[in-house]
Amino acid sequence: MLALDIKHLNKKYEHFELNNVSFQLEQGYIMGFIGANGAGKTTTIKAILDLIRADSGEIRILGKNMSENEIELKQVIGSAFGDMNFYTRNKIKTLTNVIKRFYANWDDETYYKYLRKFNLIEDKKIAELSTGMKVKYSLAIALSHGAKLLILDEPTSGLDPIARDNLLDIFRELVQDGEISILFSTHITSDLEKCADYITYIHNGQIINSGEKEQFIDTYRLLNGKKDQLDIVKNQLISYKTSSFGFTGLIHTKDLDPSLDIQWTIPNIEEIMIYCSRKEDLYV
Amino acid sequence: MYNLLIKELKLGVNPFFYALPFLTGALMLIPGWLYFLVILYFCFITIPNMFAGYKTQNDLIFSSMMPVTKKDIVKAKIGVIVILELLHIVIAMLYGILTLKLYPHMKYFFFAPTLGFWGLCFVMLAIFNIIFISIYYKTAYKYGAAAFVSITATMLFAGGAEWLSIQNSYFYDLFKGSGTDNVAVHLSILIAGIVIFAIFTMIAYYIANKRFEKVEI
Repeated sequence: MLALDIKHLNKKYEHFELNNVSFQLEQGYIMGFIGANGAGKTTTIKAILDLIRADSGEIRILGKNMSENEIELKQVIGSAFGDMNFYTRNKIKTLTNVIKRFYANWDDETYYKYLRKFNLIEDKKIAELSTGMKVKYSLAIALSHGAKLLILDEPTSGLDPIARDNLLDIFRELVQDGEISILFSTHITSDLEKCADYITYIHNGQIINSGEKEQFIDTYRLLNGKKDQLDIVKNQLISYKTSSFGFTGLIHTKDLDPSLDIQWTIPNIEEIMIYCSRKEDLYV
Repeated sequence: MYNLLIKELKLGVNPFFYALPFLTGALMLIPGWLYFLVILYFCFITIPNMFAGYKTQNDLIFSSMMPVTKKDIVKAKIGVIVILELLHIVIAMLYGILTLKLYPHMKYFFFAPTLGFWGLCFVMLAIFNIIFISIYYKTAYKYGAAAFVSITATMLFAGGAEWLSIQNSYFYDLFKGSGTDNVAVHLSILIAGIVIFAIFTMIAYYIANKRFEKVEI
């Protein structure tokens, strides 16, 4: 079953638009949602959570239409915004006591289990928690009300490498049983290499590519050629950089002619992101 | 809706604002004072502070992430405003009774704390609600303009009512002359005030709801 199915999502603002955004996430997997700052990650996430109304398109969560079943589906969605805090001067205890009332399937036992696991102290105020702890608190809340889909906006931004690695391990653990699915946006590509099953890449409000991680990477090749070879492949390249030694450019694997004598490597996600975003600059 | 109301009362409203009516209400003990001010302090102090809190604590996103309808978010917010307004009026009324007992032969220049006066206070809050709530829900977070316009309107109403009761012989007689003891008339004004308060607040809810539907969070 699809945990998340987004079809032809459009939303126009004065200076920015989401253009025909479509992607799917299978239940029980982790999808990394990557893109530069301002690419449309948060806007897409807000549209999924019905915080903004899309101009057109359809969002289905666990097989049900989000706009028609918003209240029911929000019972099984856990969400967190990495850079946003609520009622920070209140204690965890106070906030939880208010939040738990909203959820029909709230389970205190699970909640306390996760508090212990994440070393969260109920008497601490939200403001006293580190960034990583805040994300863990959001996870504890989501898991205690039986969330099946976690939608996390930049949960790893602002975390030190150890806390980030720790959080990614938790993500992997959560999806192990195949019931929980996670969509998390990030611009830190190493997060994805560590823990994502699927990758969706958004740039300027458009989905550039979405698919299983290995497949996603395999779509591209990074060419390292001499200057005189550039003209041969220039038109097929997504974008390229030149140096005194030659050029480096990204190409779709299908456009790569194996008979050409140009060195190539498999790019990493960061390189894919950088070269895909340069494409736009070239045509300006 | 009930859960949201609990959220408002536990998180949204600082406990100080539950205590404030006892402080502002005590101003009723000042003999012959301009008693409209006692209720106006709710509009001057509680509302801007409370809504500043909502803004800084990202209450709008917090509420919207919960499994609730937009309608219920508006309903709960208006609910908490009404609860606090009633708290202010009822406590001021109790102090008002004490004032009447303390100074039985007081000659009032401004309104005396009669039942009719409380009816006028309800009308004043009705005006405040319809303006404040409907302007606020254009954005659901900007409260400055909404507070400014609504407070101006309530002050104009209070000023106008005071002026009328001084200048107009009928109103003077009703509120400060022989009409003061006419419980039936004063009770009718109070009931009419409560009805206007209820109707205006419901209209405010209706407008707020329509506007909030279009608000993007």
